[in-house]
Amino acid sequence: MRRPVAVLGLFASLVLSTQALAAQLPQRWVSAGGALSEWITALGGEARLVGVDTTSQHPASLKSLPSVGYQRQLSAEGILSLRPDVLVGTDEMGPPPVLAQIRTAGVQVELFSSKAELAAVDANLKHLGQLLGAEAQASALSADYHQQLDALQGKVRQAQAGQKAPGVLLLVGHAGAKPLIAGQGTAGDWLLRQAGGRNLAEHQGYKNFSNEALAALDADVVVVSDRALADDQALQALLKENPALAASRAVREKRLVSLDPTLLVGGLGPRLPATLQSLAGTFYPAAQASFAQ
Amino acid sequence: MKQRVQPRTLFVCLSLLCLLAVWLSLALGPVSLPLFDTLRAGLRLLGLPISADGLQQAEMILGQIRLPRTLLGLAVGAVLALSGVAMQGLFRNPLADPGLVGVSAGAAMGAAVAIVGGAWFGGMPDAFAPYLLSFCAFVGGLGVTALVYRLGRRDGQTNVATMLLAGVAMTALGGAAVGLFSYLADDATLRTLTFWNLGSLNGASYQRLWPLLLVAAGVALWLPRRAKALNALLLGESEARHLGVDVERLKRELVFCTALGVGAAVAAAGLIGFIGLVVPHLVRLLAGPDHRVVLPASLLAGGVLMLFADLAARLLLAPAELPIGIVTAFIGAPFFLLLLIRGRS
Repeated sequence: MRRPVAVLGLFASLVLSTQALAAQLPQRWVSAGGALSEWITALGGEARLVGVDTTSQHPASLKSLPSVGYQRQLSAEGILSLRPDVLVGTDEMGPPPVLAQIRTAGVQVELFSSKAELAAVDANLKHLGQLLGAEAQASALSADYHQQLDALQGKVRQAQAGQKAPGVLLLVGHAGAKPLIAGQGTAGDWLLRQAGGRNLAEHQGYKNFSNEALAALDADVVVVSDRALADDQALQALLKENPALAASRAVREKRLVSLDPTLLVGGLGPRLPATLQSLAGTFYPAAQASFAQ
Repeated sequence: MKQRVQPRTLFVCLSLLCLLAVWLSLALGPVSLPLFDTLRAGLRLLGLPISADGLQQAEMILGQIRLPRTLLGLAVGAVLALSGVAMQGLFRNPLADPGLVGVSAGAAMGAAVAIVGGAWFGGMPDAFAPYLLSFCAFVGGLGVTALVYRLGRRDGQTNVATMLLAGVAMTALGGAAVGLFSYLADDATLRTLTFWNLGSLNGASYQRLWPLLLVAAGVALWLPRRAKALNALLLGESEARHLGVDVERLKRELVFCTALGVGAAVAAAGLIGFIGLVVPHLVRLLAGPDHRVVLPASLLAGGVLMLFADLAARLLLAPAELPIGIVTAFIGAPFFLLLLIRGRS
C-alpha cells in the first residue's frame, strides 16, 4: 500500500522538477531567420514558435504562423503583440533601434551568426540547444552535420581522382531574367566548393553578367537558383531569357541543375548536406552512384 | 467661382482631425491595450501622479514606441508639406515637389554612401555609427541643394528655370550615384538601401527625434511669416519686386527651408514621397491659393495624412509592417486623381 504512494510521490516530484526547469527556459519564441527556424524545428522546438519572419519557409508548416515581416524590417510593436519570451535571429536582423525597443520591453534578443561556415553552425546549434533545453540533441545534430560533410568531402576527393573539378557557375534569378552570378564570399560559393565545384566567378558578392561574358566563361555545369519558378520551369525560363547560354557547354551537355534559393539565405541550414550530395552527383557524373547513398 | 471652405472652418476641421489622428496613433497598434490603460499611461506620461500598478507594459509601449513614432510622423508630415508649399510657391507651379531642387536625390546619395561605405570603412566609433546614415543623408541633401542653388545663380540673380533644370540634372546624377553604389553593395547592404528608399517611421526614438523637431519647429515658425511675400510672388517675380518684396532673399529662404526641412525629415524617416506634392495641392483646392491659409493648413494636413498612413502601415499586415512610402503613395495618388477629376467637371 505504501509503495505505490512513494512511487507516485517520486513521479510527481520528477514532473514538478522538470516543469520548474522548463519554466526558466523561454517558452514563446519568435524566429527571424530561415536557417534558424529550420534548426529550431530539427531540435523539436517548433511548438514553441509563435511567429516567424518571411525568410522562414521550411518546413512548410511554419508558413501558418504569424509573419513578423522581413528580418531586416522588423516592427517592435508587431513582435511584442505576439508576447514572445525570446526573439532569435541572425546578425542580419534589424533595424537596430527596433531591437533596442524589443529589449527594453523585456524580451530576450538572441543573435546568431549567418556566416556560411561550419564553425557558425556549431556555435548556433550549441546556443539554440541551451535555449531550448536540448543540448544533447544539439550536439548530436552538430556531430551528424560534420560527419555528413566529411563523408561528402571524402567522396568528392575520390571522384576527383577520376575527373578534374568541373568549372561551375551559380545563377540567381527571378523567372530567368537578368540572373546574378554568385561570386567569392557568398553562401552560394561555399555551396559550390563543398560539392567539389570550381566557381568560375572571381568577383565578390552577387553581380550581373552580360550574356557574352556568361558564354565566355563556358562553365561545365550551371546551377540555377530561381526565386519565382521551380526546377524545370526555372531552367526553361533561363534559356528563354538568355539565348546565348544555349550554346554553352553546360547546356549542350544538359548539365543544368536547379537549386532551392531558400538554401542561400541566413546561414547554413539542416537541409544542406542532402542538397550538396545531389549537387556533387551532378558535378561528378561518373561517381554519381557513390553520392546517391 | 467654386465654393471654397472658409479658413476658420478648415482650421477647426484640421485641428480636430489632427487630434483624432494623434489619439488613434497612440491608442492603436498591433499590441491591443485596454482603452483605460492607454488613458492612464498617457496621463502618467504627462506627469500626473497615477499609480503604476499593472501599467508597465502600457507605459513602455506608449512612451517608448507609439509616442516617439507619433511625434516623428507629425514632424515629418508637417515639414514635407511645408516644403511642398515653398517649392510650389518658388516655381509658381502646382506640380513642383520638394525633390525638384535635388534634396531627395542628395539625401539618397548620402544614405547610399553611408550604407555601402559604412560597411567598407567598418571601424566607426560606436557612439557615432547609429547616426552615420542620418548625418550623411542630411549633409547630402543640403549639399546637393546648395549646388543646385549655386548653379541657378548668375550675376546676383537666381534664375528659377535654370535652377529647375539643374535640379533635374542633379537628380539624375544622384540616381546614377545611388545605382553605382547599389551595384557595388553586397546583398545585405543592398536590401538595407532598398528599404531605406521606401521610408519608415519604424524604430523611432527620442535621440533621433530631437534634431528633426528643432528643424521642424524652425521651418514651421519661419515659413508662415513669409506668406505675404509668397502671395506677391504668385503674381510674378518683377511684380513681387515692385510690391517691395526682396525676391532674391525670399528665394534663398525658400530653398534653404526646403533643404533643411526635407533633409532632416529624410534623415529621420527615409524617403517618403507624395506628401510634399499632394498636401499643398489638396489644401489649395479646398481653400484657395492664399499662402496665409495654405501654409498653416498644409502643416496640419501633412501631419494628419502622415499619421493615418502610418496607422495603415503598422496595422494592415500586423505583426509585420509595410514601408510607409508605399502607403502614402497608395492613399495620396488616388485621392489626388479624384480631386483632379472633380475639379475639372
